Amino acid sequence: MSWITLLGSMDAALCFTLAGIYLLVALKQREGWEHLLFSCSAAAAGVIAELELTAVRAGTGGQYGEIIRWAHLPLWVLLVSVVWFVHIYLRAGPRWLVWTICGLRTLALGLNFLSKTNLNFREVTGLRHFSWWGRETVSAPVGVPNPSTLVGQLGLLLILIFLVNVTITVWRRGDRRRALLVSGSASFFITLILGASVSVGWGIIQSPFFVSFAYLGLIAAMGYELSDDLLRAAQLARQFRASQITLRENEQRMDLAANAAGLGMWAWDITRNEIWMTSQGRSLFGFAPSEKLDFERFRSRIHPEDRESVLDARTQSLESGGEYESEYRIALPDGEVRWIAGCGRAELNGKGEPVFMRGVSRDITRRKQGEEALRESEARFRIMADTAPVMIWMSGTDKLCIFFNQGWLKFTGRTLEEELGDGWTKGVHPDDFERCLATYVKSFDARQPFTMEYRLRRSDGEYHWVLDTGTPRFARGGEFLGYIGSCIDISERKLAELDAQRHRTELAHLSRVALMGEMSASLAHELNQPLTGIVSNAGAGQRLIDAGHVTLSELRELLADISADGRRAGDVVRGIREMVRKGETVRQQTNVNDVVRSVVQIVHPDALLRSCEVETSLEPNLPTIEGDPVQLRQVLINLVVNAFDAMHDTPVVDRKVEITTAWSGNGAIRASVRDYGVGISEETRAHLFDPFFTTKAEGLGMGLAIVRSIVESHGGAIAAENVEGGGARFYFTLSPNNPTTG
Amino acid sequence: MIPPNSLVFLIDDDASVRKGVARLLRSAGYESEIFASAFDFLGRAPHAGPCGAIVDVRMPGLNGIDLQKSLIQRRREEQLIFITGYGDISMCAEAMKAGAVDFLPKPFGDAELLQCVERALVRSAEQRRGRAARDEARRLLDLLTPREFEVMQHVITGMLNKQIAPELGTAEKTVKVHRGRVMQKLGVTSVAELVRLAERACITPRGRHETKV
Repeated sequence: MSWITLLGSMDAALCFTLAGIYLLVALKQREGWEHLLFSCSAAAAGVIAELELTAVRAGTGGQYGEIIRWAHLPLWVLLVSVVWFVHIYLRAGPRWLVWTICGLRTLALGLNFLSKTNLNFREVTGLRHFSWWGRETVSAPVGVPNPSTLVGQLGLLLILIFLVNVTITVWRRGDRRRALLVSGSASFFITLILGASVSVGWGIIQSPFFVSFAYLGLIAAMGYELSDDLLRAAQLARQFRASQITLRENEQRMDLAANAAGLGMWAWDITRNEIWMTSQGRSLFGFAPSEKLDFERFRSRIHPEDRESVLDARTQSLESGGEYESEYRIALPDGEVRWIAGCGRAELNGKGEPVFMRGVSRDITRRKQGEEALRESEARFRIMADTAPVMIWMSGTDKLCIFFNQGWLKFTGRTLEEELGDGWTKGVHPDDFERCLATYVKSFDARQPFTMEYRLRRSDGEYHWVLDTGTPRFARGGEFLGYIGSCIDISERKLAELDAQRHRTELAHLSRVALMGEMSASLAHELNQPLTGIVSNAGAGQRLIDAGHVTLSELRELLADISADGRRAGDVVRGIREMVRKGETVRQQTNVNDVVRSVVQIVHPDALLRSCEVETSLEPNLPTIEGDPVQLRQVLINLVVNAFDAMHDTPVVDRKVEITTAWSGNGAIRASVRDYGVGISEETRAHLFDPFFTTKAEGLGMGLAIVRSIVESHGGAIAAENVEGGGARFYFTLSPNNPTTG
Repeated sequence: MIPPNSLVFLIDDDASVRKGVARLLRSAGYESEIFASAFDFLGRAPHAGPCGAIVDVRMPGLNGIDLQKSLIQRRREEQLIFITGYGDISMCAEAMKAGAVDFLPKPFGDAELLQCVERALVRSAEQRRGRAARDEARRLLDLLTPREFEVMQHVITGMLNKQIAPELGTAEKTVKVHRGRVMQKLGVTSVAELVRLAERACITPRGRHETKV
C-alpha cells in the first residue's frame, strides 16, 4: 500500500493508542484533568489523521471541502484540549488568555459550520493532484479562501502567544526541560499548523493538510513527558509503599514502647470529633478495643471533681495551640478510680482553628497513692511532733537546725524563726554552752548518736536541765541527711541528783567531823604542846623580869618562841577546821604524796597514843591529779585510824602502819595502807564498804562507805585484802582526770 | 629555897615544850639538863646531888612510865614529875603509886610546875640525907665483928647483959666486954643512941623480947 496510507494509519493508530492509555490513566486516577485532556487531544488528533487520510484520497473538491468542514470539530477539540492541557499541566499562562483562545476557536468553529463549505475555503473549486516523493499521488484543495479563516488563524496565533508565554514562564521557573519539551513542542506544532493553514489555505504552498503529522511531535513530547511522570509516579508509589511499611513498623514500635511505658497515645480529630487511641490507651481509660471514641466519651470518663480543670486546660491549649498538662482522676465504669497524667498539644490549621490534638496519657495512680501516703505520713509526723510532750528538733547536714516542734517552741517561748539555724543556742546556759557545742560537733562529725545534759532557758527565764538525745538520719541509700533529736526536762531528776550529791557531801563532812572526834585526844595533845611552851615561856619571862636580870635579847628570843608556838597551835586549829569544814568539794591539782605527808603529821599524836609506828614508801615522781585534798586526806586518815584500831591487840613491837604510793604508768595512781593487825574475816570482807556496816562497838559504819564514794568520785576504786605476814591492806586507785560528776 | 647542888632534868620529845620549860626553869634559878628521849637520859650518869626529872609520859621509844620502872630498877634517886598532853588519868594513878612526885596535864601553869620542882628537889634532898645517914650508920656497923654485931642486935632489944649471955652461950663478962667495944666503935654513949643508929642503918633487932618491967 502507499506509504502515505501507512504513515497516516500509523499516525492515527498511535494517536488513538495514546488517547486510550491516557484515558485509562485519567479514569483510574480520577484527579487532575491533564490526562483526560491529553487523551482528548490525542483522540482528536487521531480523528484528524483519519480525516486527512481520507481527504488526501478525495475524489472531488466538494468531498475535500466537506472533510475539512467536519475536521474542524476534532480540530477544535484538539486545540482547546491542548491549550487547557498545557495550562493545567504546566500551571502557567494567564487563564483569561486561555478563555479567550477558547472563545475564538469556538467562534471559528461556529463560523465553520455556519459557512457553506468550511472555515478555510469559501468554495473548493477543484483538486490538484501531485505526487510526493515520486510515487504517491495526493490531492490538494484549490479554492476561494474564506476570510473567516482569519478568526481561526487569529486563534492559532493567540495559542502561539499563549504557548510562548507559558514556555517563558516555565523556563523562568526553572523547569527548563518541561518548558522545552511540552510547550516548546506545542509551539512548534501550532506554528506548523498556522503556517500550513495560512500557506495552504491561501494557495501559497501546494500541499494537503498534514496537521496530524505535526501533531506527532507534540504527542511524542507529551508521551515522553507523561511517561516520565508515570515512571515517577510508579517510583513514588514504590517509595510510598516502602514508607508505608516503615511507617507501620514505626507505628508498631511506638505502640510497643508506649505500651511498655504504660502510655496511652491518642489523637483527637477535632473536626470529625473522632479520637484514636492505642490499645494501651483504651484499656487505660476502660474503653473497648473497637469502641468508637469521641470527645463526649472521653469527657464522661473524667471524675466529676476534676472535669472542670481538665477541660479548662484543654480549652486553653486549643485556643493558643500550645501544650497542656494535667493530672486528673478518671472513673471507670466498674467504679475503679485511676489517676491519669495527660499531656497533649493542639494543632491549628492555617486559619488558626484547632484541627487536631495529639497527646499521651499515663497511669499515675501508684505515684499519686505514694504521694498521698507521703503526705499522710508527713502529716502524722507533724501531729506527733507537735503533740508529743517532748521537745523535738531536726538538723540538716550542715549542723544547723531546720525544725523544732511545738513542744520546743512552747518551752522556750520563742518563734520558729528565732530558733532555726543556730538561734537555739542562745537559750543554752553559758556555763554549759562550750561543753554542749563540743559534744554536738564531735558526734556530728563522727555521725554517732549522742546524749548530753545542759540547761536550757524556759519561757519564764528560768534555766531547766534538759537531757538531749540526738540520732543521725540516713536516706534509704545510706546517704547522711542530718540529725533528729529530742529533749526532756530533767530538772527534777537533776535537782534530785544535786540533792543526793549535797547529801553525800554533808555525809562526808559529818564523817570527817566524826573522824576528827575520834582523834580528839591526839589533836588536843597537838595543841597542848605549843600551849605548854607558851605558858612556860611567859612564866619564865615574868620571873626573869621580876628577878631584875634579863637582857633584852633574851626577852626577844623568848617572845619569838611564844609567837612560834602560838602559830603552831594556830596551824593545828586550822588543820582541824579544814577537816571539819562543810562546803562544796574544791578540786585542784593535788600531789598525793603531799597528802600522805600531811596525814602522817596529823595522825602522829594518835600513833604515839597507840604506840604505832607509821612508815611511808612514796613514789618519787608522782604526777598530780585533779582532786580534793581535804577529801583525800579524809580517806587516808580513815584508813590509818582503822589500821591503828586493828592493831589494838597486837604487841607494841609489831605495831606498824605502812602507807605506800605508786604510779602504774597508765596514769592511775595506786595508794595502799597496810597494817599488822588482826586482818579481815571472810564474812566481813563482803560488807566492808557497805554503809552502816561496822565491827566497832561504837562505830557508825559510815567511814568506809564514804571513803569508797570519795575514791569513786575521783575516778578510782578501792578494795581490801589480807596480807601474808599478818594484817590487812586497803588499796585504791585514783585517776588523774576524772569526770565532773562530783 | 633551892637545895644546893640541885639539878632538874627535862625529858620531852617536843621542841616547844623543851624550849619553854627550860627557860622557865632557868628563870626560876634552877640548873637543868634537857633530853629529847628517855634513852638519852639513861645514858647520863646519875647526878650527885638532889635532882628531879620532868618527864613526858607519851614518847616514842621508851615512854615515861617505862622510864620510871627502869629507874626504880636501877635504884636511881631522881624524883619524877610526869607531864602529859593526853590527859591520861589511868596512867596518873599508876605513876603516883610508883612514887612520882606529881602528874601534870599540859598545859600546866608555870607556878604549878615550879612548885612541883621545888617539892621534888626537897624530897630528893631528904632522900639523899636519909640515905647518907644510913650509909654512915652501916659503915660504922661494918666495923663490928660478927660477935659484936650479934651482941649489938640483942642489946638494942633492951636485954641485960646477963640475959644476952645465955642467948649467945657466953659469959656475961664477955658480953659486957663486947658491949663496951660496940659502944666505943660506934661512938655511942647510950643504948638509946645505939638503938637510933641501928634504926638509921635499918638493922632489925634480934632476940626474944620479953620486956620485963
